[in-house]
Amino acid sequence: MWLRRYYTGRLPPVAIDDAIQEALIAVHKKRHTYDPSRPFGAWLAAIARYKWIDAARSLGAKPTEVLSDDIAVPDHEEAIVSARSLDQLLTTLKPAQSQVIRLVKLQGLSIEEASKATGQSAALVKVNIHRGLKRLTSLLRSVSDAD
Amino acid sequence: MQTDSLIERLVNELKPVRLRTVWTDAIALIALGVVELGLFLALGMVRPDMPAAMHLPSFWWKLISLGLIALVSGTVAIMSLDPVRLPRRGLRWIVTLIAACLAVGWMLDASRDGFSALLTRLDWPNGLECLYTMVALSMPAVIGLGLLMRRGAPTDRSGTALAAGLAAAAWGAFVFVFECPFDDPFFVAVWYSLSCGAVTLFTRITLPRLTRW
Repeated sequence: MWLRRYYTGRLPPVAIDDAIQEALIAVHKKRHTYDPSRPFGAWLAAIARYKWIDAARSLGAKPTEVLSDDIAVPDHEEAIVSARSLDQLLTTLKPAQSQVIRLVKLQGLSIEEASKATGQSAALVKVNIHRGLKRLTSLLRSVSDAD
Repeated sequence: MQTDSLIERLVNELKPVRLRTVWTDAIALIALGVVELGLFLALGMVRPDMPAAMHLPSFWWKLISLGLIALVSGTVAIMSLDPVRLPRRGLRWIVTLIAACLAVGWMLDASRDGFSALLTRLDWPNGLECLYTMVALSMPAVIGLGLLMRRGAPTDRSGTALAAGLAAAAWGAFVFVFECPFDDPFFVAVWYSLSCGAVTLFTRITLPRLTRW
C-alpha cells in the first residue's frame, strides 16, 4: 500500500498504522475537494503529508518518561552461569536420569508427577535421580581434583 | 481497528458528494459581501459628505487599498482550501501589497502640513469608535471564511487562517470606508491597521483550532 510506504521511515513503526487510518479517514471526509481533472497522486500525497505532520507533532507533544534506576534488575550473571553449567553437566548423564532430575529437582515436581510425565515407575524415578546425582558429584569431584 | 475493516466501513459509508470548487466558494463569499454591504448602505450608514469625499485622493486610497487587500487575501484563502495548494507565496504577495498601500498613504500624507500635530490627528475617541465598527463589520466575513475552511481541506491551516483574517479584516474596513468621515492618511493608517491587525490576530488564533481535520 502506498500510504504504508510513505509513512515507513517517516514515523516510528508503532505510529504507522494510526497515521494510515487517519489519512484514510481524511481522504474519505475530504473527497469533495478532489478535482477529477487533476492527478489523484498529488492530492493523496498532500493529505498524507498533512497527516504525517499532524502525527509527528502529536508524537512530539506526548511526554516521555525517564526510566528510574529502580527498574534495573540486580546482577544475575552468577545465576545464568550456574544454570548453563548445570545444563551442560546434565547432558553428560543418560537421558532418563537427566529428565527426572530436571523435573523433580529443578522444576519441583513430585515423584508421582515425574513418573506420570516420563512413563517411568516411581521406583525407577527415585533410582535414576539417585544415580544421576551420584554421577554428577563424581564428575564435579574429578574436575576439582584436576584443578 | 484493523486497516482493512476500516476501509470496508468507509466504503460502505460512501455517498455521492458535491464537489468543492474555487468558484463555488468565491461566489458564496461574494454573495455574503454583497448582502453585508447592501444592508450597511440600506441602513443609511453612508457618510453625509460622500460627494465631496469622492474628490479626495485619500478617500480613493482607502477604498482601493482595502478592496485590493480584501480581494487578494480572499483569493489566497480560498485557493489554499485545496490540499495541494499552500498559501505561503500568496501571503508574501499580501504583505507586499499592504506595504505598497501604506507607502502610497505616506506619500499622500507627506503632501499635507507636516507631522507636528500627530497626536491631535489621531483623534482617540473617534478612532476607537472606528476600530469597534470595523471589527464588527469583519465578523460576517470571518464566519463565512471559517465555514469555507471547515468544508475545505487546507493543509497549512495557520497560513490559510492568516490569509482569511487579512481578507475579513480588509473587507470589514472596506465596508466601513463608506461611513467613515475621516480621510487623514495618518488617522487611517493607524486605526485601520489596528482594527485589521486585531481581526487578523483573532482569526489566525481561532480558525486553525476550529478547522482541524
